[in-house]
Amino acid sequence: MRRLLLVLGNDVRRHLKSPLAILIYIAIPMVMTALIGIIFAPRTEESTLPPIAVLLVDQDKSFVSKILLGAFDVDEMKKMFEVTVTDEAEGRKRMEKGKASAMIVIPEGFTLDLLDAKTTTLTVVKNPAEQFLPDVVEEFVNTLAVMLSGAVQAFAEEAKGIRAMLDAPVDAIPWEALGPELGKAQKKMVAAGKYLNPLLIRLKEEKTKAVGAKTQVTKTDLFSIMLPGMAIMFLLFIVQTLMRDIISEREDGKLRRMMTTPLRPMELVGARLLGGWIMGMAVLLVMVALGTLIFRAYWGPFGWFLLLGAAASFWTAAFFGFFSAMVKNRNQAGALGAPVILAFSLFGGSMMNPEAMPKAFRAVGAFTPNRWFIDGAKLVREGNFPLVPLIVLFASGLVLAALAVPALRRKTSV
Amino acid sequence: MLEIKNLTKSYDDVLALDRFSLDLKKGEVLGLLGPNGAGKTTLISILAGTLGDFTGTVNFQGRNLFSDRELKNRLGIVPQDMAFYEDLSAMDNLLFWGGLYDVPRADLKKRASELLELVELAARAKEPVKNFSGGMKRRLNTAIGLLHKPDLLLLDEPTVGIDVQAKVSILDIIRNVGAAGTAVIFTTHQLAEVETTCSRIAIMDAGRILAEGTLDELVRIVGERDIVEIVGDFAAAAFSEAVQDLAGARVELLSAADGIASLGVSDTAEIPRIMDRLFQRKLAVTDMKIKSPSLETVFLKLTGRTLRD
Repeated sequence: MRRLLLVLGNDVRRHLKSPLAILIYIAIPMVMTALIGIIFAPRTEESTLPPIAVLLVDQDKSFVSKILLGAFDVDEMKKMFEVTVTDEAEGRKRMEKGKASAMIVIPEGFTLDLLDAKTTTLTVVKNPAEQFLPDVVEEFVNTLAVMLSGAVQAFAEEAKGIRAMLDAPVDAIPWEALGPELGKAQKKMVAAGKYLNPLLIRLKEEKTKAVGAKTQVTKTDLFSIMLPGMAIMFLLFIVQTLMRDIISEREDGKLRRMMTTPLRPMELVGARLLGGWIMGMAVLLVMVALGTLIFRAYWGPFGWFLLLGAAASFWTAAFFGFFSAMVKNRNQAGALGAPVILAFSLFGGSMMNPEAMPKAFRAVGAFTPNRWFIDGAKLVREGNFPLVPLIVLFASGLVLAALAVPALRRKTSV
Repeated sequence: MLEIKNLTKSYDDVLALDRFSLDLKKGEVLGLLGPNGAGKTTLISILAGTLGDFTGTVNFQGRNLFSDRELKNRLGIVPQDMAFYEDLSAMDNLLFWGGLYDVPRADLKKRASELLELVELAARAKEPVKNFSGGMKRRLNTAIGLLHKPDLLLLDEPTVGIDVQAKVSILDIIRNVGAAGTAVIFTTHQLAEVETTCSRIAIMDAGRILAEGTLDELVRIVGERDIVEIVGDFAAAAFSEAVQDLAGARVELLSAADGIASLGVSDTAEIPRIMDRLFQRKLAVTDMKIKSPSLETVFLKLTGRTLRD
């Protein structure tokens, strides 16, 4: 055990003395994540959704349509919607080009129909390429329609009076008669106010905070989603570099010298696998720390994530221990190692969303550590314990270690 | 100290060691010579415990060398490869390699410092070895083999590729180690190193020892003679006639020309007799040189001049 720890300590010290390769492998995923985040992240930090581009076609051009327009002009609504008033032809052109999530068309005669308590229609044209932003617009317009309907029905009498006055020429409008009508409306509003003030039922916004639950995509969440895929890919590169010592020591005589000492082959093999595991964990922790500090990435319960990282590092060390025992020399290790890692990363989901991949790719991805680590990280982020990914990573890692140990032991015979 | 009996090792169809036997005493420095493919490295590898699948016995201090891992603490090796970590300092290397033996940490540090002084690397103990010259690396390589004060030291061409000063330094260390009681086996292609360093020489080829002993013993074994070259004022015929009845097992006329002749003598005690005869025959001698047989002549006589793969 003493000699195992001596070899382990020596390896760790050596790699820390020359950390350039490791630092580069840590920096690359950070830079790539930052670039992707900058390109694809939502524009605002504050809002939970990006401002939704909405086109408004006002064919009515009267005071009710102006009220509708005004509803979008409120501060809170401005954060949610980016409204452009246009005509229908231009609006449809923009919709075809995908320049907006939805177009609302207020038909001609909307106000008059409303005042006449006739059914009228607001048209919402939705962009079929978008999944849920057009639905948000539709819901909002629904809400407005309900409110308007309610208001018109509550003030039906007054509305009739106002309607009749609108039909008359301006100089024929009996302005003195407006007073009583408005007076009635005022009484209704005051009466309504007695019932409505204080409001017995109030709306209160409350954000739920289930452990680990984050359901909406912000810029922070984008990094949290991307970073695990990047981290596992570069973990593979780092551990592969570290485990290449096994090959280089065989070639340059150090292994032979070690075998002339009382050091047992199993102690050497154990030190190498343990070293790969520990260094892999350390590097993963650095990536997590940097991801949190720089990108404010959210990982979920740290203990669970640590366990997942331990499983992934163990798998990686065992795999590259076996790999190093199977290749003939450093050149072969270099030539084969990178394609293997890239294949893992491609099929495993480090480079693209697994759900966007063809079925065959996803099936192959089940054989990669990337898939299980990414899935596990997602579960942890959502507040769930990553049981299945842990089992798969530890169990398959044990199988690889069981293969690696005798293979490495044979390689210690010089 | 070391008894090797009938050691045999094959690689496929090639017999690398053919019933190889050798004894080595405490403090003896044995120079092991042989052409390429003779089996020297195979022997060193087996003794170092890095090569298996052989027959024969190797007893070290009365015990089977390979039965007890603890015996590895008494064996030191200086391989031909520069087997240390170039990104570590000389001191860190010594502490790591020494730590693989059962040397207490406190003693190890002291021993490492002593060795760095011995190999004249103390001033650069903390520097990364990658900055060292070839000679400095060889000295460090040698020092690593000595950390745990082994009873048997195996050196596989320890002076390859270094300058004269570094070579002399390493050979001095080997002599001193032998003088301190460590048994040493030292393989090399440099015959001069063996002549100056080793108390015993073994010449091997095709997996077997062809001859072993001191240089004088080897010379006698192979029947090499001293060459006496005589220069003077005499005719070839007169010289030939003068030494004719001296010729025999111990004196041989090799060549005679006007003014110069050479004789092979198996014992330098014959030289006064030869000179006496020449004086009696009134042959004027102005100069005489004696060339003793070298290890090279012995080696080539035993192993032949054919180039090896």
